[in-house]
Amino acid sequence: MEVLNPRESLLSNFEVLALLNELEADYHSKTKTAQRIKKEDEAAGVTAPRAYNPLDDISQNLRTIEVEAIQYLNADFQPTRRQTPQGITRLVKALEPYGLTKAEKLQVVNLAPTATVELYILVEDPEERIDGVMDEILDHVRASLTDEPLEEVQELPAPAPAPASIQEAYAEEDAEGENWEEYAQEDDFVDHGEGAGIEGDLDVEED
Amino acid sequence: MFQLSIIRDTIPIHPSKFALPPERALIDELNKKYANRVLHDVGLCICVFDIREASEGKVRYGDGFLWYTVTFRLTVFRPFPSELILAKVKSSDEDGIQLSLGFFDDIWIPRIFLPQPSAFDPNERAHFWLPSAEPAASIHELLDSPVSERMYVDANEVVRVRVERDEFYDDEPGPPKATEGVRIAHESRRSPYTITCSIIEQGLGPVVWWRESQAILMDEEEG
Repeated sequence: MEVLNPRESLLSNFEVLALLNELEADYHSKTKTAQRIKKEDEAAGVTAPRAYNPLDDISQNLRTIEVEAIQYLNADFQPTRRQTPQGITRLVKALEPYGLTKAEKLQVVNLAPTATVELYILVEDPEERIDGVMDEILDHVRASLTDEPLEEVQELPAPAPAPASIQEAYAEEDAEGENWEEYAQEDDFVDHGEGAGIEGDLDVEED
Repeated sequence: MFQLSIIRDTIPIHPSKFALPPERALIDELNKKYANRVLHDVGLCICVFDIREASEGKVRYGDGFLWYTVTFRLTVFRPFPSELILAKVKSSDEDGIQLSLGFFDDIWIPRIFLPQPSAFDPNERAHFWLPSAEPAASIHELLDSPVSERMYVDANEVVRVRVERDEFYDDEPGPPKATEGVRIAHESRRSPYTITCSIIEQGLGPVVWWRESQAILMDEEEG
């Protein structure tokens, strides 16, 4: 292993949350595939375990950090729930004339300060640099937030379960059976994914 | 708080994964290797962001694995010094306060980075700040103060903290020395990555402190 560049760029909390939500959706589709294969096997009366199980690919470390990080980034004290990609883009554009550094802008996005005291500690030398425009900046931040916490995730291009339902899924992880039904209704599973190809290959191997 | 790091590594892919698209298989392997792991002087790895570049897979002598040289970007947790973050108080003791982010617990506020004058209340197991006291007040004077004036930093409270510094320790045990015979030395294990924070400035500390003060200010302005 070789570290080529320890800090290539900074990511906002919102971006990381979107990435993790994507992983989460991916995990759910994998478990769904596994479930389906198992059902098919049962129906066909196959009792021998398959050589390949998509669930084997999931590392426990990844699951742990994924779930815990989503919990932190989605917590009710974080502004991420009220942010949208469009809102953030607008906010960053609106912040340009104030001469904030990159790190300060990133923190404005991450923390979304709505009170003067929050903005005051975030910016270095606030009296010198942003005296008099603080209220303007706070207005821009407020404009970038939606009033209600978003129920549906808009940031994901792929059809993915909303964060709320992810949380629920964790709360009742044991009762997974119910969730399968839910997810199955949300989007039809088209059988061209990993499972399909692998099954074919496995058959070849078994011969 | 989060950053992207570019890393190059050589990764073996097991033959049972040959059916998957190589990119998928590589990301799975990389996540397996790096997720939730502290890389020295880099930070706590979360997951793979994307793959920049990957070589052709090569079979080496001795096993049936395909070995790829991959250059990829990793999402890493590493707040920069002076960054503000939100965290929850995990526990407190005489020496300071331990915070938690859920996925990362090695965040500390040492006593010197607490707002002054402050003291540790052993009954409540929490530190408190006494804004009304003299700056040079002794601990006894502080502990004699009426409880209603104290501003406690209670467990599970959400605090806004400033990152002061971070430290990495690589405490891998060396090879055992045969000449010394069997000797079990238990050194206290240090966590590989620790972040030190402060709440000494105005505006830092439990979020509720400042929300209240803001409200009071607003009331005064209106009244």
